[in-house]
Amino acid sequence: MLRLGIKSLLAHKVRFALTASTIVIGVAFVVASFVTADSLRSGFDQLAEDINTGTDYTVRGELPFGEITEAVAPAVSADLVDDIAAVDGVEIAKGGLFVNGVIPVDGNGEAVTTFGPPVAGTNWLEDESLSQFYLMEGRWPVGIGEFAIDITTFEDDGYDFELGGTYQVVTPTGPREFTLTGVAQFGFPENAGVGAIFSLFDTATAQEILGFPGEFTVISVRAEAGADIAELQTRIEAVLPDGVEVITAADSEEEFSDATETFIGPFQTILLVFAFIVLFVSTFIISNTFNIVLGQRVRELSLLRAVGATPGQVRMSVLTESAIIGAVASVAGLGLGMLGALGLKALLNFFGASLPDGPLPLVPRTVLWAVVVGVGFTVLASLVPAIKASRISPVAGLAEGTSSDEGASLGWPRLASGGVLLAIGLVATGLGLFGDFDGATPQLSTLGAGAAVTFVAVSVLSPLVSRAVVSLLARPLVWMMPISGRLARANAARNPRRTSATAVALTIGLALVTMVSIVGQSLKVSFGDRLANAFTADFIVTADTQAGLPKTLSSDIRAAGIGTPVGFDLDLVQIDIGDSQVETQLTAARVSDLEAVINIDVIEGSLDGFDPQTGLLIQSDVAADDNLGLGDTVELTFVSGDRATVSVAAIFDGNGFWSSWFIDSALYDQFATTAFDDVVMVQSAIDDPEAARAAIDDVLDSYPQAVLEDRQEFQESIESSLNTVLVLVNVFLGFALLIALIGIVSTLTLSVFERIREIGLLRAVGMTRRQMRRMIRWEAAAVSLYGAVVGVVLGAAFGMATSAAIPEDIIDTIAVPYLQLFIFLVISVGFGLIAALFPAFRASRMNVLDAIADE
Amino acid sequence: MSVAAPPTHAAARAVAATKIYGSGDTAVRALDAINVTFEQGQFTAIMGPSGSGKSTLMHCMAGLDRVTEGQVLIGEIDLSTLSERDLTLLRRDNVGFVFQAFNLVPTLTAIENIMLPMDLAGSQGDTDWVDEVVSATGLADRLKHRPSELSGGQQQRVAVARALAGQPQVIFADEPTGNVDLNTGAEILGFMRNAVDEMGQTIVMVTHDAVAASYADRVVFLVDGKIVDELVDPTPERIRAHMNQLGA
Repeated sequence: MLRLGIKSLLAHKVRFALTASTIVIGVAFVVASFVTADSLRSGFDQLAEDINTGTDYTVRGELPFGEITEAVAPAVSADLVDDIAAVDGVEIAKGGLFVNGVIPVDGNGEAVTTFGPPVAGTNWLEDESLSQFYLMEGRWPVGIGEFAIDITTFEDDGYDFELGGTYQVVTPTGPREFTLTGVAQFGFPENAGVGAIFSLFDTATAQEILGFPGEFTVISVRAEAGADIAELQTRIEAVLPDGVEVITAADSEEEFSDATETFIGPFQTILLVFAFIVLFVSTFIISNTFNIVLGQRVRELSLLRAVGATPGQVRMSVLTESAIIGAVASVAGLGLGMLGALGLKALLNFFGASLPDGPLPLVPRTVLWAVVVGVGFTVLASLVPAIKASRISPVAGLAEGTSSDEGASLGWPRLASGGVLLAIGLVATGLGLFGDFDGATPQLSTLGAGAAVTFVAVSVLSPLVSRAVVSLLARPLVWMMPISGRLARANAARNPRRTSATAVALTIGLALVTMVSIVGQSLKVSFGDRLANAFTADFIVTADTQAGLPKTLSSDIRAAGIGTPVGFDLDLVQIDIGDSQVETQLTAARVSDLEAVINIDVIEGSLDGFDPQTGLLIQSDVAADDNLGLGDTVELTFVSGDRATVSVAAIFDGNGFWSSWFIDSALYDQFATTAFDDVVMVQSAIDDPEAARAAIDDVLDSYPQAVLEDRQEFQESIESSLNTVLVLVNVFLGFALLIALIGIVSTLTLSVFERIREIGLLRAVGMTRRQMRRMIRWEAAAVSLYGAVVGVVLGAAFGMATSAAIPEDIIDTIAVPYLQLFIFLVISVGFGLIAALFPAFRASRMNVLDAIADE
Repeated sequence: MSVAAPPTHAAARAVAATKIYGSGDTAVRALDAINVTFEQGQFTAIMGPSGSGKSTLMHCMAGLDRVTEGQVLIGEIDLSTLSERDLTLLRRDNVGFVFQAFNLVPTLTAIENIMLPMDLAGSQGDTDWVDEVVSATGLADRLKHRPSELSGGQQQRVAVARALAGQPQVIFADEPTGNVDLNTGAEILGFMRNAVDEMGQTIVMVTHDAVAASYADRVVFLVDGKIVDELVDPTPERIRAHMNQLGA
């Protein structure tokens, strides 16, 4: 039976290729997900190893709570360097500074910024292997007037830097002028691509301008050759004060690895989710193809049965065929996936992610997954067709004609099983949306499974309605093109099961796209409304780097007398409420000016007379949850390890657009480990908006990383970044639509082949090739419109349910982008027309005599 | 052009029509310089043993296939000068077809099938004529049915009606009774005979059945791609005698 499976495959190459291609794409997606993630992992791990070469220990401030990725640890005293160096077994110990948000400005006045990686200021060390900064050109900077930059920035054609030139560098202590004396390489030359940008100063200068006089953010230590790493660590620990820790190079590599995994992991998971969507959609296409092909092979199969093949053998031959297709597709998918991984990395870099270079590691896990999903999904898809094939009777082939237009099992069993599946799917979806879960993974899994079962249910139920719905949707065709249209409509409706199976891939794709666009639109509207109501500020200043805006910016605006600026600094804090502890985001701002820039609805207490040193402002829900009333005190622990006791001075009602805890910056800034605000809002004192903007712009000249927007522009730019995310999601969902397209091409090609005599007849009685092509194109358009309509309806339901399930402080208005949904439908019609190009061409070129004579 | 009978009476004719399949040593002459004229208002049967070229002749005359040499004319139109598209339009407007089986588009009703060539042309056709044809089929009450709801004989009558409806120059029928029982066959042949006698149509029918051929005005015998004989006002007995003579 194995030989039979192979022979049958070789005999139908086109069909085989089309079927396999959907699985190839799915497998490629899985492979690309793993390989890209693995490549990032190995790249970052290599980087971590390189950075730590020559350093055995890192000494740094210890975070009292939270993870090193969530907050910036406090600096340590410079005196520690000598204490550590004096420890027996330590070869060398040097203090280093590493401060994010130090931005050089090139000769054209353009600020050097990045999308995500740090733009940092640091100090160079004589011992290059300890600092991992190697001088490549010029000389190291000395004194307060000199600096060096990293070679990647220096050589970047987009920036204008020359040795000997004088450039502005924006530091946490304000913008300053420096002469460029040298160019340095971070780490080893082969990993130039961390994406981080460095300005280097000598140690004393760095301490002064980065705002850490007498301190270091890190002390790098190298042990003498042959030292016992663990034992020496204990001895270094002994000389360290409380709140300072020493970790080994291995620890810091692992920490780096863990830190990168916090974004690589989710990245991989998200890609895999898309991969499984593609595979899920492919399953329907493959199942459909097998059904059609086996229907066409009834004679052959019944002959096999007649000459003595058992039902089991027939079933095995079908499953063998599908396993072979799956295996071949897995191999092709592996290859395509490697290419895809290259493309993905290039895409990420294009979006400014600056990933480390590295090989594309193909580990056994990836290969295993490729084969398991490739063969697994194909065999799964052929299971039902295989069982059906095994039930073909030995005399089936003797019956005249094997009409494929039968709408077999369209009755109660289908309605009942579809209904049960639909109920299960909807309950699971509802549970996933509204249920109580311990963590996001079980919740999203339930939701995903619910959606998948719902889609299966829809595919089971669809044949019950497809004939009527398709006829209705395709009615305009009859008016547009009397005969081609009528035939197209009739053909689209003639086989409800096939129409449904073909359309379901598009249904799934469009349901997801529709859901995303409704949730996206609801987010935009909710957010827009909230934004419009949240601020009274005339202008909003944000930074185009991760680090934020130096705190000097708001004081500069205040000093210029333009109006009332309020800087907002969000940071992690630990709050002791009675016996319990909460880790949360806390916002520091000048509370006395708060009402000038944001709408804050104080329902208890008052902001008047708010004591900056002891006052706390909290949101009403949090107050209720934590049982806090006016005058109650809590103890705050900052990431610096410092503590402060504050008492509730006012409670505000609000939708949580801001963090729920506010203290005054006057208190916070004493303990802050960074000197940056996240955003600065300005209430202008100048009536003319243009003049006000010009005045603020003057101040911002010293802060090239600052982006000035009025309320309207701010709202628009938030919407546009949301749009970027939506577009990205839709690009990935586009792969599911691509599968749907292949599905239509494949089904239509098979249908045309099946209707060869009918096509011959039509041509004989005078249908022109053009009419023939038109008929087939519009048949495809009608089928895809059907799939699209079901998809949009389903997606709209999902989208609205999801929007409703999302907490009100994120989405409070459900918005449906009707125009967009209408455009989806129009596009899907175009989609069908495109899918039909090849089958229509084939049909129109068919030899009339051969077609009529076909048995 | 003046070799054959006067053009005004010819619905279709072949002039030295030759059809060669393959090339070199393996070349087969399916039609060998055939000259034949099908008069307007006549019912002609083409007979011959298997492989004699009768189907090839019909396909070439009907514009479904092209001759290698010589000419085929429908009315005064020389088919060899026509493009693929014009040939299609000629089939649609000037030629009617009845095949042995699978004559009807399954998704269209009987009346839609009858109107198919005219619908393809975007024309209404001659309504009175169509009514006449439809009433002649005796299927007036089954016009809204789909082919699968009609008997084999009914399906073939619809096919003949479709061929007639556009008032083509000539109708070609390829074993139209090959797939039906004797009574049904007689019913279909009677309908075709009637179309020639009462409606003045021209029909050319390929058949191997002497009884079927006896409905024709004239029988043309084909052997090895050549016309070897013909018979006017045939009876089944005379046809069988001729066939035996030809050694078929």
